[in-house]
Order: sequence, then structure tokens, then C-alpha cells
Amino acid sequence: MTTIINIENLTKSYKKQQVLTGVNWKIQQGDVVGLLGKNGAGKSTLLKSLLNMNEVDSGTITIFGEPHKQLTTQSKALIGYVPQENDEISWLSVRDLINFRKQFYPTWSDEKVTDLIGRWEIDITKKMAELSPGQVQRVLIILALAPMPKLLIFDEPAAALDPAGRRDFLKEILTLVSDEDITVIFSTHITSDLERIANKVAILDKGQICYFNDLDATKENVVQLTVHCKEEQNITIPNLLRGSKFAKGQYGIVSKLDKAWLTQMQNQAVEVTINPMGLEDIFLELTA
Amino acid sequence: MEQFIISASSGIPIYKQLYSQVERMVLNGYFPVGQQLPSVRQVASDLDVNPMTVSKAYGLLEERGYLTRLRGKGMIVNQRDEETLQQDKLSIIEVMIGELLSQAHHMGISQQEIIQIINRK
Repeated sequence: MTTIINIENLTKSYKKQQVLTGVNWKIQQGDVVGLLGKNGAGKSTLLKSLLNMNEVDSGTITIFGEPHKQLTTQSKALIGYVPQENDEISWLSVRDLINFRKQFYPTWSDEKVTDLIGRWEIDITKKMAELSPGQVQRVLIILALAPMPKLLIFDEPAAALDPAGRRDFLKEILTLVSDEDITVIFSTHITSDLERIANKVAILDKGQICYFNDLDATKENVVQLTVHCKEEQNITIPNLLRGSKFAKGQYGIVSKLDKAWLTQMQNQAVEVTINPMGLEDIFLELTA
Repeated sequence: MEQFIISASSGIPIYKQLYSQVERMVLNGYFPVGQQLPSVRQVASDLDVNPMTVSKAYGLLEERGYLTRLRGKGMIVNQRDEETLQQDKLSIIEVMIGELLSQAHHMGISQQEIIQIINRK
């Protein structure tokens, strides 16, 4: 597997506030990663640092195997980025903005642009400043997709979109990821957006990537357990995040379901019920 | 055509949801032997899910003998002997009965009472 992004010991602070306190993160080609984090966790800071739009305090970052501060022009052209807030020139019309941006890329698909503008009903004669937040976000997405990037980074891509707009956006990403070389990272606090498209989930909490795993494995591992014993019995649940006891039993949430322990319980005639949890609950438990 | 239904926000991974739906559809004859299943791309697009998820479900169904990959035709329902088929059906029912009995047990309902209900049906 090819490593697309490798981050080691990344730290970043703003004045006195330490935002990233040692991020280690490795992303492989073809991964579709959902980056979760509470408001203010530093998701945007992390993504901007990655793209060298922020000066970092310490640590190393490589993208496509190249140091992030010395990316070759070819590598830069392979990265698409959608910022959380519109940082494009707002007095340009959508048409002029597209023509302006087009000049910087060796691979630019006019076909993709025309198709998305038509489907997303964008009036290209309007100035960026005249568009609604949802339409602005759509234009930013089009600008990021047009150069046919191999690495796509979205910072809260769907925040300003209504449910139908979000679904359209997800569909577009899904079409893209059918091509297996494309790597996608998108930050969000809306877990339902990533449950359909991500294969991996990362959690940024207290300045670090505190969790990074397959989405399916996450749902299979982070579960709620109910343990029923025949009589009062002291049972220690492995990898317990949070739990409480009741007469002849226990209730708990684990970060990793221990299969060996489960078999051991079955042999002791202790009944363990496993209840799966949705990603939103999992996220809340892991960052509690 | 949307033959499958999934819930993305469920705690059960999407590939597992898809796996059990196809498994049942094969066992109840909705997908007869030799029937070609919709392509990975088709299912992914109908359900708005990652194609990798669909591949994972199909791969598992192939591994367990429900489907077989046919060159140029994609996945088709495998021909299997009656005995294996019956065993697979029974094991699904057994899991369901296990859950039922466990629930009943916690409510203090005896196996005898459950059998009475079954006999009334």
C-alpha cells in the first residue's frame, strides 16, 4: 500500500493556545477518511497545516512522499481542497473565477465543470458575493474537483448544504472514489455524512489523533454490553470506557470487544448481550 | 431498482446489513440459483454507499458459498446441495430463537410458555 500522507509529531499553537500537541497520522492511497472532532478541536488547523497554509511549530509532514513545504508543482496540482469558509475572490463572477483558476492546472476537466454547474443549477454570471452560502460551497467543491485531483481534502464540506444538497455532494464523492487511487479526507461533525462514504474514521481530540480505525471495525468493536450473571459476581469487563452495575449484572461500553473474554464468559454461563452503537454515540463515548 | 434497504446510522456495519439481506434473499429463493446479482457499482449507486462496502459484502457471500464470481457476468447465486442449504436456513433461525429465548428469560417467561405460544400460531 502506498502512503499518501504521513504526519509525525505535529504541534501547532496560536499565541498561548496549544491546538495540536503531537499529531501522528498516516493515510494510505484509496482511503476515504472521515475526520471527526468537537468544535474547536483543531480539525481546520490540522488540515491547513497539512497543506502548508499554516506555519507549524514542529513535526514532519510528507504528502506523496515529499516534504509538505517543498511539494513539486505536479504534486500540488494533484491536490484538491475545499475550505470551510470561502477564501475565493468574491467580486469575480463564477465564470471568471473558474477561468482564472483553470490556468493553474495542467489537468482541468471542462466537462466536469459544465456537468456539475448544470446539475447543481449554478448561475455562472453571478458574483461569488451574490450567491447563497450553499451555492458558494458548491462552487468551491466544483473548483476542487475540476483539476481531477488524486488527493481531496474537504473541511466541513457539507456544512452549508441542505439535506438534498448534502446527498448530491456525497453521490459526487462516491462516483470519484469508485476510482481506487483517489484518497479523500473530510472533516465533519455530522457523523451521518461519513457513515455512507468513509472506510476509515479518525478522531481528533485534545490536540491528537486519539482514534483511527476502519469504520466497520469501529462499529464492531465499540459496543454496549449487558452482562447478566446467575448470582452476584464480580466481573471485570476488558477495555471498559464507562459502566455501571445493577443487581446480578453490569452495563458497559467498551472501546474494543474482547473475543477471548466473551468466550470465557460463555463458558462460565454468564450471558453477555452485545448492542451495536451508531457512529454518533461512538464518537461521543470516545471523546467523553 | 432498489432491492436492498440499509440504515447508514445503524450500529451494524453496512456491509453486514447487506450481507444478511442477500443471504436471506438467496435462502428464500428471491434470488434463484444462477441469478446474476446487481453489480457492485449499481448497488453502491442505488444505496449511496462506498463501493468498497458492497464489494466487502459480496466477497463474504462468495467466501461462505452463497455466490460465485463468473467471468464477465459478475456475481451469480451458487448451486449448492440441499443439505447445506437447509443447514444455513436452520442456523439463521437458531440465532433468532436464541435471541428470543434470552429476552424471554430476562422477563421470566419459561421455555414451556414459549412453546405454547408457538403451538398456538
